[in-house]
Amino acid sequence: MATPVYMEALSPTMEEGRLVKWHKRDGDAVKAGDTLAEVETDKAVMDLVARADGVLRQIAVTEGQTVPVGKEIAAIVAPGEAVATPQGRGTGDERPVVTAPTPTAPARTVAVAAPAAVADATRVKASPLAKRIARETGLDLKQVTGSGPGGRVVRKDLELAAVATPPVTAPSAAPTPPVPRPPSPVPVSRTGAPYEDAPLTQIRKTIAKRLATSLGPIPHYFLTTEVDMERAAEARAALNQALGTEGKISFNDVILKATALALKQHRACNAWFAEDHIRYWNEVHLGMAVAVDDGLITPVIRNADLKSLSEIGREARELAERARARKLQPAEYTGSTFSVSNLGMFEIDQFTAVINPPEAGILAVGAVVAKPVVVDGQVTTRRRMRITMSCDHRVIDGATGAVFLRTLKGMLENPLAMLL
Amino acid sequence: MSERVLEVLDAGRVPYREALEWQRSVAQARIGAQLDHDVLLLLEHPAVVTVGRTAQPRHLLDTAGIEVVEVERGGDVTYHGPGQLVGYPILDLRRYRPDLHWYLRALEQTLIEALARLGIPAQPRAGYTGVWVRGRKIASIGVHVKQWVTWHGFALNVSTDLAQFDRIIACGIPGVEMTSVEREGGRGKGEGAVWEQATAAVIAGFEQVFGVTATAGELASPR
Repeated sequence: MATPVYMEALSPTMEEGRLVKWHKRDGDAVKAGDTLAEVETDKAVMDLVARADGVLRQIAVTEGQTVPVGKEIAAIVAPGEAVATPQGRGTGDERPVVTAPTPTAPARTVAVAAPAAVADATRVKASPLAKRIARETGLDLKQVTGSGPGGRVVRKDLELAAVATPPVTAPSAAPTPPVPRPPSPVPVSRTGAPYEDAPLTQIRKTIAKRLATSLGPIPHYFLTTEVDMERAAEARAALNQALGTEGKISFNDVILKATALALKQHRACNAWFAEDHIRYWNEVHLGMAVAVDDGLITPVIRNADLKSLSEIGREARELAERARARKLQPAEYTGSTFSVSNLGMFEIDQFTAVINPPEAGILAVGAVVAKPVVVDGQVTTRRRMRITMSCDHRVIDGATGAVFLRTLKGMLENPLAMLL
Repeated sequence: MSERVLEVLDAGRVPYREALEWQRSVAQARIGAQLDHDVLLLLEHPAVVTVGRTAQPRHLLDTAGIEVVEVERGGDVTYHGPGQLVGYPILDLRRYRPDLHWYLRALEQTLIEALARLGIPAQPRAGYTGVWVRGRKIASIGVHVKQWVTWHGFALNVSTDLAQFDRIIACGIPGVEMTSVEREGGRGKGEGAVWEQATAAVIAGFEQVFGVTATAGELASPR
């Protein structure tokens, strides 16, 4: 008589647990009270212990997998019952059989999909053991009458069926491989599963946590303004001509420089919120959101207000490259006092960014777009750009943010103002 | 309600691996009911980096000249060393609440109460188990439980050399800034006084949050 091993709750509110380590392997003898596996939640790890003596079988969950509380993840069977597979034991290093395929690809693309061969069997109610036996012996579960609870097909039914019907020959039982699809820009699951679960990488977890502590608890509001970039574009073109081959200045560099100078004038927006106090920074350390392979990171240009446009440009490019190569040191992506996120290169006109706590604001920069505007009563085409500032209302009030944006807009529309 | 006793063993400086064996054996005794009351082990470790069950190897930045130990507690990597008050509560949670989330929050609250006694306002931080002072982390928590008996626990920086945390991405949170009782200006006068007051404050915190009566235990024999 097999004793199922269930995923247990570590807390009444816990709905799923992550199995971090198996202590016993398929086929190991276990005694009641032995630690079978470790389950993790938050910063706590719990030992899952055996509730019966016997042999551990049917391990259905791999290390690192998260499964719902109450799910059957293995079984403890009597020693005589242990031989459940036609191959039996005896190879010595038998591996768990019903586990998800071990990924060979880099970890971040891991898919925890059920083996394709099982898919057909899942439409029939059957125990995990019965499904495995069916797969291994080539029996069609749909042809078997179940005697278990709710018509579930159990091992006994299969044993009877195996005697009654000759096993289907292997070639015809093998599922027809799906016709390969033409290459598509959208990634298509090779298993044909309706979805893929990708375990969270550390960077994705950190992003999730940090941003959830931002948009939830921080009272955000947003201020948008449209900036005329004609003069900035002219200034940039002239500077790039003068610089020749020594590195070009981008619109983003101009925006970073102007933002740093505007923050210097409006310390009220260059601040950290820290529960019981607000820290107004006299130094300007600008965070610059950079998209990397599996997330984003915000390297910091320190003392950006004191640096020249070409210095900012060089540093921004270097930091972005190192961020993509994952070579940033923690000191290089921490300690920013305000951040800038630019999606202009993706032709985004306008968006809102999520504040990076404890900072009190972030500037979201859209694309520079030529559009018709009225200048001196005449319709004419100008290069325009929309910027949106997200503000933490606990630090920056509406008018405070608006005055800062007006200064920033003024600097971008008249770059000579940066020299003042 | 019957009085719940917490025996406090103040063990001084104990090497990490030795303390690990010790707390496992105490926990095993509690599981097997050879031990009929809860115990709080208080100690200090010589410098060591420990790697929890959910740690990423790349969070170890510099392990030159320091011992690295892999352990079964929850959480990522952390540093222990002189000046850090380490507590390993061996509690049977069925006498309180069989709920690990409750236990983690209760440990945080215990340390927050303790820090309040030292004049330091500390907070929990949603999603980041541990105790924080003005955005900086002052105490780390990582626990293990078997049949509702706990081991591992917390590490409170009293006068820890904070530069040692640069060896790791502490707790797996990039850019986390660590702090200590000393750095936050916690009360304490003269040599050794901060440590003793921190120890007393932690014990008082346990009494308050867990509703236990602390008794000073005797170290029966050298472990």
